[in-house]
Amino acid sequence: MRVFHRPLLLALAAFTLIPAAFAGEIRIGLAEALTGPASQYGIPIRNGFLLAQDEINAKGGIAGNRIVLVEEDERGKKEEAINVYKKLIFQDKVLMIFGPTLSNSMFAAGPIANMAHLVAFGTSNTASGITDIGPYIFRSSPMEADVVPVTLKAAIKHVGLHKVGIIYGNDDAFTKSGYDVFRQVLQADHIAVVDTETYSKGDVDFKAQLTKIKAQSPDAIICPCLAEEGANILIQARALGIKAPFIGGNGFNTPKLLENAKAAAEGTIVGSPWFDGNPSPENKHFIAAYRKKYGADPNQFSAQGYDALFIVAEALRKIHLTGQLSHDRQALRDALPSIRFTGATGHFAFRAAPLHGGKPGGYDADQAPFVYIVKNAKFTLLK
Amino acid sequence: MDWSAWWDTYSTLVLSIGVYGMLALSIYLTLSCGLLSLANAAFMGIGAYVSAIITLHYEWPFALALLLGTAAPAAVALLVGIPVLRLSGVYLAMATLGFGEVVRVVLLNLDITGGPLGLNGIPPLTTGWHVLLALAATILLLQALRRSRIGRAFEAIREDETAARLMGIATDRIKLLAFVLGAAIAGLAGGLNAHYTFTLSPGNFGFESAVDILTMAVLGGIQGLTGPLLGGAILTLLPELLRGLQDFRMAANGLILILVVLFLPHGLWDPARFRRWVRK
Repeated sequence: MRVFHRPLLLALAAFTLIPAAFAGEIRIGLAEALTGPASQYGIPIRNGFLLAQDEINAKGGIAGNRIVLVEEDERGKKEEAINVYKKLIFQDKVLMIFGPTLSNSMFAAGPIANMAHLVAFGTSNTASGITDIGPYIFRSSPMEADVVPVTLKAAIKHVGLHKVGIIYGNDDAFTKSGYDVFRQVLQADHIAVVDTETYSKGDVDFKAQLTKIKAQSPDAIICPCLAEEGANILIQARALGIKAPFIGGNGFNTPKLLENAKAAAEGTIVGSPWFDGNPSPENKHFIAAYRKKYGADPNQFSAQGYDALFIVAEALRKIHLTGQLSHDRQALRDALPSIRFTGATGHFAFRAAPLHGGKPGGYDADQAPFVYIVKNAKFTLLK
Repeated sequence: MDWSAWWDTYSTLVLSIGVYGMLALSIYLTLSCGLLSLANAAFMGIGAYVSAIITLHYEWPFALALLLGTAAPAAVALLVGIPVLRLSGVYLAMATLGFGEVVRVVLLNLDITGGPLGLNGIPPLTTGWHVLLALAATILLLQALRRSRIGRAFEAIREDETAARLMGIATDRIKLLAFVLGAAIAGLAGGLNAHYTFTLSPGNFGFESAVDILTMAVLGGIQGLTGPLLGGAILTLLPELLRGLQDFRMAANGLILILVVLFLPHGLWDPARFRRWVRK
């Protein structure tokens, strides 16, 4: 008998210790695409969130309460995003939900959160109109419409843009909305578009379009493309002897572009909310901690996920949780808009979306993007 | 868990089972007439877009939107069906796939459909009753059809088209009827789907979903109405039931399909097999 006493006592002590360390749990839903094609974004996002969860809980959580992320895979499909949202809201009874990964999924799942009166917080949705869904929709990802003007401004200073050619995918929501934004900003800046060419998702040969663009000898080529097609476009443009630099959108902002395009990517200009070389202490700490936990380099999506949980943690510290779910959900929603935060992606604040048909919308990211140029096969800050 | 909490959590799943059951029935209808048509996803898309544009831009009543969402694909099917149904077998499959691609590209390039951005903010109008009524009406219609002269004609055409024609069956008209009815059912399913998923994009109705719909019917079995309904329910539920497997979820999903096709070639619901079991 005596032999068993010590472990038993220890176990008892351990059990009593846990509630002593944490008064309770704050359950937050995390709906991301963990399988399927969109998982290339969803998994880095999840990794960023889990890192932030570890760090917050290691420092005692929120007023003695532990943050618990309830993960669900939404596979980047609209029906599954809705199913996952409903499971998290009505069954797991979470306080709020992060995700889903793709803008299209948010268009499907966002209305569910808005009707149930809890915060849906996207960290990777860049399409316009997301926050028109309603006042419970938040996002920390700057829209293309916010990033592109800054990118072009820097490019004008660097290259001296007078006339540009454009190539983009016209059958994809992401590349098409990127194109729309570029065209508007180019018009506002009085830069002539000498040629616009299109391709379809999955195309591998762009020589015909690039030859036409080359004939107009533009100062730069605008390419709001995803990295898959973008790398091929860069390589084929260089093979055709096009010297003009490329200017990309959010899709270009990935190490994959450099891996695939190699030397052809030199001189490419890209805007992004996160810069891995940003020397701020918050960012240095994030990169080191991420490498330590996952043995891999973080990307923009993990940085945005990481920061998002800290943004919500700030809001949670400002409110008093009563345990009554609808009250707590509403309190968090009301506390979020005024949060200002400096994290791995720099200074962050929310900006109320403009009224949409007389109805109030949610909150977009108000954040200044970084502009990079590819130099010696590395993204370097363009000043 | 009480009933209302259960319904809050799983209502979309239940609605999806009903809607995909209707889609599986729509392709069953053409298969029962010996037509391998893969246009049902495109007809679903037409129905979904037409009804969503009506409720979103014109704010007409939902019933009217569903009605037009049913009628529009039927009208398109009538126009397309007359030339296309001269083909049979894999040639028909290829032509209908091509038609699906045409619909997708048209949806991508029109302004009223939102182009590649699709339609967002579609009002949440579909309730359980709508789906239940639509599904019940579809089942009753197909049941009545099976017992009628036309149903017998479907069967005759599937077994031997030449013989059916010699028997005096107007095979062209009967096949066109199956094609148009299938399109109408798919369109209604699409209209219902659009109003509980709130967003549409042209990619939702491409090759992948055409194959999904066919798989539902084949998995369930096409000897009667039960098979397609069962197949639709299983393929909708399986990814949710396998959620615990996490990363291996879709692999398990595929494996189950392969096993069913290998060992139950007539689908899960095969009355002939059940009779053999009873006799043993």
